[in-house]
Amino acid sequence: MSSDRLSNKVRRLRFDNGELTQQQLADRVGVTRQTIIAIEAGKYAPSLPLAFKLARTFGVSIEEVFEYENER
Amino acid sequence: MTKLQKSAWFNLIAVSMCAIVGGVGFSLLSLLNAKGIHLIFIFFIVGSLTGLGICVFYRKKSPEAGFDERERMINKRAFGMAACALTIFLACICIIPFFVLGGQNVIKVYYLPLIFLGTLFAAQFVHSVAILVMCALEDDDEQ
Repeated sequence: MSSDRLSNKVRRLRFDNGELTQQQLADRVGVTRQTIIAIEAGKYAPSLPLAFKLARTFGVSIEEVFEYENER
Repeated sequence: MTKLQKSAWFNLIAVSMCAIVGGVGFSLLSLLNAKGIHLIFIFFIVGSLTGLGICVFYRKKSPEAGFDERERMINKRAFGMAACALTIFLACICIIPFFVLGGQNVIKVYYLPLIFLGTLFAAQFVHSVAILVMCALEDDDEQ
């Protein structure tokens, strides 16, 4: 049995990029603040286009925002 | 409150109001059992189905317009739950009278559209409640 987990550094990157609020980040990538909250809490895995939008907003690569962990 | 939650609250209130008003009206009409009651039923049923048809076919925007991808996912999950509720409700409403009234009894045909509308109301109610519950469960981790 394997367990997949997608961790992310969105919260840290928000603070590293001029202390962006969740609402400001949500407006920039075109989602609701609740979606940003869910992503930060690891409750929601974003689609690939949204993951790219988040990475581009922070000016980093997608791997620097998201990390895929697969435990067997 | 997001657009999805607002839409779910609106649907929930609308469905609840319709169910209460319809239920009370239906019970009163059944109790009165006046002559020509079937004409009133037919009038209400045709009116309800016409309203439903207008909502479905002449809607300018998609029901998911303005929702983001997470909200669309929640909406799809809620839709799945509503489909289950619809099946269970329909099964109950069709099977229970068979055992309660017995196989030899008959029902009037104008009950069939009422059953149809009742099933839709039940599905919409479950859909709205499921959306509100899923959103509430996710909202407990705010900044």
